[in-house]
Amino acid sequence: MNIVVCVKRVPLTQEVDLEIDGTGKDVKKDALAYVVNDWDNYAIEEAVLLQEKFGGTATAITIGTEDDEEVLRRALAVGADRAIRIDPGDLELDGFVISKLLAGVIKDLEYDLVLTGVQADDDNCGMVGIMLAEHLGLSHAAVVTGVEPEGDEATIKVELEGGMDEVSKIPFPALLSIQTGINEPRYVSIMGIRKAGKKELKVLEVADLNLTEDDLTPRTVVEEVFLPPETEGAEIIEGDASTVAEEIIRILTEKGVMV
Amino acid sequence: MITLTHPAAVTYLGLPGYVFAWLIFVSGLSIFSYIIYRRYLLIRSGKPDPRFSDTGKRVLDLIVYGFIQKRQPRYLWAGLIHIMIFWGFVVLGLRSIDLVSQGLSLPFLRPLTQTGFGPFYDTFKDIFELIVLGACLWAILRRALVKHERYEGSHTFEAYFVLCLISFLMITDMFYEGSMLLLNKSQETFLPASRLAALVLSDSSPRLLTGTHIWSYWLHLITFFFFLNFLPLGKHFHIITALPNVFLRKPDKGAIKPAQWGVEDIDELETLGVEKFEDFTWKHILDFYTCTECGRCSDNCPAHITGRPLSPKMLTLKLRDHGYHKVPVFGSADREGAKEDEKDDALPMIGGLISRDEIWSCTTCGACEEECPVFIEYIDKIIDMRRHLIETAQNPKTFNQVLMHFEKTGNPFGKPATKRADWVKELEDTDVRVLKEGDEVDVLYFVDSYGSYDPAAQAIAAAIVKGLNSAGIDFGILGPLEKDSGHQVRRMGEEGLFQLLVEENMETLSSVRFKSIITTDPHALNTLKKDYPGDFEVFHYTQFFQSLVETGQLRPAKSPDTDDIYTYHDPCYLGRHNGIYNEPRQLLGSIPGLKLVEMERSRDRSFCCGGGDIVLWHEIEQEEIRMASMRIQMAKEAGANVIVTACPFCFIHFEDAIKTDGLENDLRVVDLMKLFVSTLA
Amino acid sequence: MGDIFVVVEHRKGEVRDITYEMLFKAGQLCREYSHNLTAVILAGHDESFLDDIAPKADRGIVYEDESLKHFNGDLYRDILKGLIEEHRPFLTLAGHTSWGMDLGPALSAKTGYPLATDCVDILVENDRPVVIRQIFSGKVFSRVSFKESEGYLVSVRPGSFLPEDIEARKGEVIKNELPADLPVPRKNFVEFVDTAAGDVDISQADLLVSIGRGIGDEDNIEELKNLANTMGGTLSCSRPIVDKNWLPKYHQVGTSGKSVKPKVYLAFGISGAFQHVAGITAAGTVIAVNKDKKAPIFRVADYGVVDDLFNVVNALKEKLNA
Repeated sequence: MNIVVCVKRVPLTQEVDLEIDGTGKDVKKDALAYVVNDWDNYAIEEAVLLQEKFGGTATAITIGTEDDEEVLRRALAVGADRAIRIDPGDLELDGFVISKLLAGVIKDLEYDLVLTGVQADDDNCGMVGIMLAEHLGLSHAAVVTGVEPEGDEATIKVELEGGMDEVSKIPFPALLSIQTGINEPRYVSIMGIRKAGKKELKVLEVADLNLTEDDLTPRTVVEEVFLPPETEGAEIIEGDASTVAEEIIRILTEKGVMV
Repeated sequence: MITLTHPAAVTYLGLPGYVFAWLIFVSGLSIFSYIIYRRYLLIRSGKPDPRFSDTGKRVLDLIVYGFIQKRQPRYLWAGLIHIMIFWGFVVLGLRSIDLVSQGLSLPFLRPLTQTGFGPFYDTFKDIFELIVLGACLWAILRRALVKHERYEGSHTFEAYFVLCLISFLMITDMFYEGSMLLLNKSQETFLPASRLAALVLSDSSPRLLTGTHIWSYWLHLITFFFFLNFLPLGKHFHIITALPNVFLRKPDKGAIKPAQWGVEDIDELETLGVEKFEDFTWKHILDFYTCTECGRCSDNCPAHITGRPLSPKMLTLKLRDHGYHKVPVFGSADREGAKEDEKDDALPMIGGLISRDEIWSCTTCGACEEECPVFIEYIDKIIDMRRHLIETAQNPKTFNQVLMHFEKTGNPFGKPATKRADWVKELEDTDVRVLKEGDEVDVLYFVDSYGSYDPAAQAIAAAIVKGLNSAGIDFGILGPLEKDSGHQVRRMGEEGLFQLLVEENMETLSSVRFKSIITTDPHALNTLKKDYPGDFEVFHYTQFFQSLVETGQLRPAKSPDTDDIYTYHDPCYLGRHNGIYNEPRQLLGSIPGLKLVEMERSRDRSFCCGGGDIVLWHEIEQEEIRMASMRIQMAKEAGANVIVTACPFCFIHFEDAIKTDGLENDLRVVDLMKLFVSTLA
Repeated sequence: MGDIFVVVEHRKGEVRDITYEMLFKAGQLCREYSHNLTAVILAGHDESFLDDIAPKADRGIVYEDESLKHFNGDLYRDILKGLIEEHRPFLTLAGHTSWGMDLGPALSAKTGYPLATDCVDILVENDRPVVIRQIFSGKVFSRVSFKESEGYLVSVRPGSFLPEDIEARKGEVIKNELPADLPVPRKNFVEFVDTAAGDVDISQADLLVSIGRGIGDEDNIEELKNLANTMGGTLSCSRPIVDKNWLPKYHQVGTSGKSVKPKVYLAFGISGAFQHVAGITAAGTVIAVNKDKKAPIFRVADYGVVDDLFNVVNALKEKLNA
């Protein structure tokens, strides 16, 4: 089974107090550390697990600068066979343009399955995967938490809201957007990543992809980004742990949930 | 008086005894050479390990730990017994050689025995025969009457058997000579052992005496060569390998061996760590041969004591047996090896024979290595096995994020590097210089990740900078330029990431000028000193402040408020790994009126708090009690109500254990630096 | 003067809450900008919710077929594409749910209408919609506009618009035949699996003691379970705890877990990703304990404590045992 997996490099922001940059349209990113998008980690792992089980090749693709090749080397270290980076140059990107760029590359590859993460940690859009499937004319499913190939189709699990999974069958070739928790991504060591540097990594320019002006025009524009207002939200209970505990107990008792 | 014929000169089955002596000698030595050759083959399959530098120091160690057996009396009675038997071997070896050479009719020792040395030696060896015999009896009774937990899993039958063999060698010589005393009454030398045998034989007929004399000799000879060949088959191989193993000991405690000796750049290696037996270094294979199964390692191993699935002794035994299966004494190495490899598919050496949790159980506290009388190394082997687990993604999943954070943010928490010096902002009226490239300073304070980001450790860091300011020291911290020292990363087995952190820190350290480095954390001290390529002067804060007190730059003036009783816990990486036992105690001693008691386990027998690496991110399920819980009980038993530590991880573990065990009213933990600073005027 | 389409989301014969939330917001927009509100219902035969939905919209366009009983990306997309091309609505809303995450991008690709996903607010500026989204897991908001188009697609984050009361509208029902040229669907429904069924029913509890990533270590769960027991509450958790297999799925609160409605929700070490917060919109009082004073949970909590959760847990235990 030949698998293509799309990955993105995103900033690590969990512990960071983000600030807005000079343009007002993005956050300051110069001091941020970059990692593989969490959802994509699961997608890479799933691609390699399937490839280990069913044979075939796994190809990792990203869009970005040379720095972004790091996520490809990680994917190669996990077990992908080759990698492709699409260099967007100065192109303005949104979910739509990204899906077009990816489609432009993937359409010429041989594959049975395309995997993406459900969404990216930075823009939280969650649209690239399914748009890409449509451009390629593939059957598709979003928020997938289980894949079991059987011949030329797969039984998949889609995570629904409210603690429910939907089981369905989907024929190959297909695109699945992978949800976290589908597997346990393995650790790849620094040494492993360096060794993976020997595997094939191809770089493509946008011009190589035969895309139209329309394909390369974003359909949405970020007008501004802003931090949530500080004032809204919880009333902070001050004091040492003991005072806090007393106050919590008072609230619980007042609400009648604790005697 | 009868003229005695030497047993070898007697004719047996029409052949002179010399023929039989030669037969025993040649076959005994041939088989022995062959067995040793097989053992050598296995050693040869190991990886390189440079062990011949610094010969002077090695010879000294050989004398102190090999011949004087300095570590033996750490277990007093067993140690004394061993010393007696060991010296018996040294003394009586000459006797056995003499007896063999007589049999071969090559009496090359005769010039020596015919001088004044002869009678003196005869008395001497006779005394030792009695000592050894007594020691063997004592050892047998000791094993038989008291069940020693540390011998669990050891080869008890072999122990008894060998003790009997040794006793038999003594007895045969005693009877050989005792019978001679009765037959040949001209002997005047004082021979207590032989006299004892003679006493037993006193009523025997001359015929019986002659027979005893002859057969004692032959039995001694046969037993001697049997024993020689028996040694390399079991744990008594140490009789042959122990002295070399002591001579070849690892010179630098605390350091971790490189991925492979002789390879500077790990990129040149195909794989990292130990997967197969041959991935161990030759010296580590010699370690396996040398294990005496005394169990002192496991008896002191906090992982073993708390019920984790690690016993250093069993680790060695399992790996030794695995190696012996690979290259057995009899049968083809290749064929057997291949068969073993097939078996390996079902049960791999790492993850099968040695379980993953066994490998993650170790806290690298070094108690086992401190205790081992023959200097068997454990930490390097454990780390090498971890390296393999990391490279093949067999690590606990909880490591994934932590290691990613180390790589991406330079600390295990994933906190931004830009906030590394934020703790300084919260200090009131304390000035801390955050260095930039090209800056110059007397003392570089390496805070490391916990000191920088963890609230409990930040408080220690705050006390350090306060102390430095009080003494008027010109110091600075690296702030965002500093990356984690990598001590944990290296001991988790992520060598590549460790190298990366070292590279980045080395670049920073060479961009500022300083005279010496001080650290919050014994782990950082250890890794900067032992694992880094730089030649820095690194001090732990306890050393640094102790010297300030000594030179009078700082003087604690205030007594501790209450009549608390303090006890000092030696952190593993300060004590055992770096030998810093006295400075912290002197620092405590400088505080007026402070009452200090010692725990039973202190100094080089200190008991690990749980450690500063794996335990933070991976729970060993089999653990029955936390190490820190055991340790605080020891403090209580010593009569203390305050435990003083000098390591942020010890502090964190003890504080946690005091809370979870509900001992807040009985015990508290304080970091030495915070205590010290609070007593400054 | 155009239409606002709302794609009605339902499961097992019941309308999902997101539908009412969208109808509520769409109703506001229609009032303000004089649009018509159209509910689009693709469902199986005799689904009972028609009567409920129709009065909340100006009209309900209905396709009924057994093949539409469960969401099917291929069929839903093609039917909606046809409908959109016929009516050219100004705005089409779908939920940012598993359905919508499949349907939205597919529709956008097929119709050429631009799509903004996971929106928490919808405004109209200069005759074009402008949406507010959250990025970086809710740490930052962004205001997003669209490239000019005939119509626009927006997927709405569940829980963003809490319907107070939805005004009654004309409720005209138009039943459409299935288009003749519908493709044979490729993906086929097999079954639903209830992943949240278990020994504990967190949806019925009055007091939930809920734990998140901040708990740090699996071993600490026992401690929190004890605390919950002492308080007479039930233990629940956020997604990472279930992803790590530290607790069974039926403890999970949030979009992929359960929606809960306790009188008090006590959150320890939960940062408050929107998927989690969406599960506690019906909670009475929310008390959050978190080390990070900027954790998004504090935005939805009634009371907040900025401290290490174990300090608070230990103090609580002490008080309760005293």
